[in-house]
Amino acid sequence: MSSTWKTSLFITMRSDENNMSHLRIAFQTMKDYWKMSIILTLIFMGIVAMYSAVYPAFKDNLQDMASTLGVKFSFIRGLEYMTTYPGFLNMELYQIFWILILGMLIGFLASSLLSKEIEAKTIDLLMSNPVSRKQIILEKYLGLIPFIILINFATLLTVYGLTVAIGEKINLGYLIMTHAVSVPYFLAIAAIGLLISVIIDEKIKASIITIAIIIGMYIFESISLLIPEYKSMGYASLTHFYNPADILIKGIVDIYGVIVLIIFIVICLIISMIYFDHKDIAIS
Amino acid sequence: MITQTIACPSCKNRVTVQGNPGEKIYITCSQCYTKGFFIFPEEKLISKTTVNAIETKNLTKFYGKNKGMENLTFSVKKGEIFGFLGPNGSGKTTTIRTLLGLLKPTSGEAYIFGRSIRDDIVEIKKNIGYIPGDLNLYGHLTGKQFLDYFISLRETNATLLDELLHIFEIPSDRMIKEYSKGMKQKLGIIQAFMNDPEIVIMDEPTSGLDPLLQQSFYEVIKKEKTKGRTIFFSSHVLSEIDKICDRVAIIRDGSLVALEDIETLKRKSGKIIKAKIKENSATFPGPEDMKIKDNWIQFVVSDNIDQWIKKLAKFTILDLEISEFNLEDIFIHYYEE
Repeated sequence: MSSTWKTSLFITMRSDENNMSHLRIAFQTMKDYWKMSIILTLIFMGIVAMYSAVYPAFKDNLQDMASTLGVKFSFIRGLEYMTTYPGFLNMELYQIFWILILGMLIGFLASSLLSKEIEAKTIDLLMSNPVSRKQIILEKYLGLIPFIILINFATLLTVYGLTVAIGEKINLGYLIMTHAVSVPYFLAIAAIGLLISVIIDEKIKASIITIAIIIGMYIFESISLLIPEYKSMGYASLTHFYNPADILIKGIVDIYGVIVLIIFIVICLIISMIYFDHKDIAIS
Repeated sequence: MITQTIACPSCKNRVTVQGNPGEKIYITCSQCYTKGFFIFPEEKLISKTTVNAIETKNLTKFYGKNKGMENLTFSVKKGEIFGFLGPNGSGKTTTIRTLLGLLKPTSGEAYIFGRSIRDDIVEIKKNIGYIPGDLNLYGHLTGKQFLDYFISLRETNATLLDELLHIFEIPSDRMIKEYSKGMKQKLGIIQAFMNDPEIVIMDEPTSGLDPLLQQSFYEVIKKEKTKGRTIFFSSHVLSEIDKICDRVAIIRDGSLVALEDIETLKRKSGKIIKAKIKENSATFPGPEDMKIKDNWIQFVVSDNIDQWIKKLAKFTILDLEISEFNLEDIFIHYYEE
């Protein structure tokens, strides 16, 4: 039947149109976060430098610390390896500053992606341009990705550079994987922030809710590690699907975890788009 | 023969095709195999068609239980300056924000150049300029950065930019957050007009402009009108609507109460006769709605002016004024009840 043969209207394009113009909102978002990105990256490089630099002095005490803490306090993943250099980095840097603190910072930035424009009412003029609401959501999200890549790359280089400098050994492949797999993890965090920023119009409220979710997930994961009966609680946390300890120390990458994170990102983006598509941009 | 670059609706792959105006061709995308068609435009599509610039049919918006506007039906002709008059809270801004796709209508339809705001809002916005009532700009950008950003988001060239920057001077290298209200308003006007859009929708655009700039602004509007552009102008300042608009819609409590040529509206409303007589004012046999204020007799006549002048002639007239209704009187008339 010819009527079921679906046809769609091809769109007229001006031949001189610049292909990149479609990503202008993403570029602007990137520029808006540029200063903040540089500052945060430098802070993280500083933190890494501090931890790596204190390791030689700290090394001998780690054995005592490990026996005091004991394996029972296993709410931090990979704690049992804390006497080794990668284990030390995992405990001090990746389990806390990386997945929790940086996660919170990325969540904080993402939660202002839309709420900032809605609160400041600049969204009115932005939306008077020929851009669809879906495009705004997608480009805002894309605009945050360069920061995630930048801070990953800078931290990776600092860690490796200092490791060589202090004469310790670390598997470069494992280190690169640890950072590479953290990208989908942080993108998933950013997707939560984006979703909240679409729903909540006030920037501060959106940030508080996003950070509360991230801390909540971290606590869930910790409880699930600490109490075997509550092991299933860990599935409610994104940190469950990204384990820097396994990757950095043993080189084990949880492929299923990565898939779960990617599916999670896609779902968050779709919900954000649908929600924003139906939202009234009200004046208050 | 027209040469046109077109893009696949699903994968955005571009192809250049040739054909005659009005010709319909069928294409299969070479990359994603989407089947589709393309109709070559009939020269300038918009200027040839007779569709109205804006057309609303029973457009209704409720915020939960609160009414924003109800059953609004009106049309704005192409090439006119259309005044949209009503006090604050009457539903003007709700109407404008619905037309721009910022609010989703509860029911009813609206079309801009024949395109539905429900299905085609992105396409519509290629031909719209907008000045919001509550103008908020990106404070962290300079005026120039802001304009560059917006130029890149539009799909037409900013042909009027230089001319507008000449009329409305702004410190384009300073951050917008340092701008005064008037400067921001100027920037708002520049961004709305710079692409020479088919229609400009404005929500109280002159607030914050000094009288001199208001004058330049009216001139820009009038010039756009001579080029066939349409202006939709919301205001609560009656004198400016009176000065520049061709037709006016008066909105009250979310509903349309009048839509008329300004001249017709005034003519229909009649004339105001004010007279001061030597005798006791109350003895004058005026119409029922006659008012006496400070010994002045005041009443409105819509048709037979002769009859009333002859009646007045029987008294000793100390002073007499016959004036046209102005928009303000009409407005008050519609709002009194």
